[in-house]
Amino acid sequence: MTGLAVMLQTTQLEKRFGGVRAVAGVDFTLREGELRCLIGPNGAGKSTFFRLLTGQMKPTAGALMICGQDVTRARANEIAALGVGIKNQIPDVMNGLSVSENLWLAASQRFRGAQARRAVEKVAERLFLTGILNRLVGELAHGQRQWVEIAMVIVGEPKIVLLDEPAAGMSDEETARTAELIREINKDTTIIVVEHDMPFIRQIAQTVTVFHQGRILLEGLFDAVVADPTVREVYLGRAGV
Amino acid sequence: MATEFASDAAKQPKLWWWGAVAAAAVILGIVPTMTDISLQLDLSILFVFMLLAMSMGFLWGYAGILSFGQTIFFGLGGYAYTILAMNMGTTGLPFLMAVLLPVVFAAVLGYFMIYGQISDIYLSVITLVVTLIFEKSMRSTSGPEYVIGTVRLNGQNGIPGVPGLVLPWIGDAPLSIAGVFYLSGGLVLCVYVGLRMILTTRFGRVIVGIRENERRMELLGYDARWYKLLAFMLAALIASLSGVLYAIWGNFVAPEMFNLNQAAQVVIWVIVGGRSTLIGPVVGTGVIQYLSNWLGTVGVGQVTVVLGAILMIFVLVFPRGLLPTLGAAIAALWSAKDRKGRGK
Ligand SMILES: Nc1ncnc2c1ncn2[C@@H]1O[C@H](COP(=O)(O)OP(=O)(O)OP(=O)(O)O)[C@@H](O)[C@H]1O
Ligand SMILES: [Mg+2]
Repeated sequence: MTGLAVMLQTTQLEKRFGGVRAVAGVDFTLREGELRCLIGPNGAGKSTFFRLLTGQMKPTAGALMICGQDVTRARANEIAALGVGIKNQIPDVMNGLSVSENLWLAASQRFRGAQARRAVEKVAERLFLTGILNRLVGELAHGQRQWVEIAMVIVGEPKIVLLDEPAAGMSDEETARTAELIREINKDTTIIVVEHDMPFIRQIAQTVTVFHQGRILLEGLFDAVVADPTVREVYLGRAGV
Repeated sequence: MATEFASDAAKQPKLWWWGAVAAAAVILGIVPTMTDISLQLDLSILFVFMLLAMSMGFLWGYAGILSFGQTIFFGLGGYAYTILAMNMGTTGLPFLMAVLLPVVFAAVLGYFMIYGQISDIYLSVITLVVTLIFEKSMRSTSGPEYVIGTVRLNGQNGIPGVPGLVLPWIGDAPLSIAGVFYLSGGLVLCVYVGLRMILTTRFGRVIVGIRENERRMELLGYDARWYKLLAFMLAALIASLSGVLYAIWGNFVAPEMFNLNQAAQVVIWVIVGGRSTLIGPVVGTGVIQYLSNWLGTVGVGQVTVVLGAILMIFVLVFPRGLLPTLGAAIAALWSAKDRKGRGK
């Protein structure tokens, strides 16, 4: 693992909201091909960390490097152009447009003309969206909206994919499918997944990073992390695992 | 779920739509042969205002940018044509330049507002303030020192004697009243079709995406600022076209083109017609202008008050505007009839 290229790196990354340090000096390294899981209690700063990584918020201190470029102050679209895609925690799609229009907008950032249309068809098939391509996204159930958003993320073939709670609100069957999909995407994509669902994480996990109060508490392999007494104390004990 | 905006704007229009456009073109073509000059004049100014309404309606409804000051470009277009045409002694080149100059101003103003990341509400306020500043400045140019080339700006009295447009392939004389009718009506049709076509292009689809969810579009890699600026400039182009035609129609420009009354009129046309379709503002303009003329003839003194009341009713009761409300009502009737039919 250590020989592989660094895709994303933060140094002492910090985000303050008034007096609250939601992200409090995080040193984080992600290498090519990793499937990293990020866990931690509610309010640990996971989503805020993701927003910093994608330019949705600017850090109050620290630095962010993606694919060798300093993007600490870059705009969201510039970071996206480097090949970073994100599924936000709350479905973040174009509710007033059809599924196919949503996918087309996502695809046409990378492909033109017939190529974009083919990419939409391919991703729709892969995520079982073909039957609902003409539906309005705003009319879909929460779980389906999540799938649409995941499809929008991967249709542009990003190098790094960030998934904030991809299994939230999904049925057991959908969750299993999501786990399978993530492993499949991981064959040619570097991924970070934020999740609370420990059985889900067990299915996909390699390295797990534990966030607590804006800091990295621990980083290690899944079994070592769940066995760790401090992790059990701050997170898993309460999550009932 | 009823959505405010049609979700199929990105699709190519259907055959019946092209049929309707063709029918409108034919009607436009024969109207001057069957009507008198005064009606042609009335309809021409209506077309001019329809362009102005489309400028605001497109920007608000499709790009999500609420500009109260499309009269900035309306006024600038009118004044630019007047000053250029009177100085140069020709009208063709001034026409083109006058349509484009306000777009340059829109690029600068839009750049500071959109790239400056000011909030939507400030953009609305700033556009309104800018048009009022233009009005005030033009009013204060009555002194003899305010001359551009050979043209005195004349302050609040405005500039009379604006030359009519000479189209070399038609003849050496300025456009007749029927000619102005054809020009303005034809441009309404062209702008309408043009905007409809733009909505099917990548640019059009992207601006609609930004209206729906700007953050998501940025996360997909689109620079929303650039697309919004382009949309702002496109709307300015339509407004300035309207302003140039206004000057040609009345052979006159005045600071009123920029004023609050004019700016408010545009807002009323668009809100009453509805911003969720391109045709809504066109219909709204027709209805409101017809209504205010009629109120004038039956001797209602307070036309403005009545119009204000109509605006309030629409904002509070029919916020989607005339056309979408009618459309929804017809759709509801249809489905009710359907249910009855199946019940039998
Ligand atoms: N825009 C904001 N303004 C103020 N405080 C915020 C903002 N966003 C997040 N916070 C605070 O920052 C902290 C971290 O929130 P964040 O959403 O990143 O947590 P999280 O780890 O994603 O939690 P969860 O598991 O519940 O999604 C919380 O205390 C939250 O209240
Ligand atoms: Mg979160």
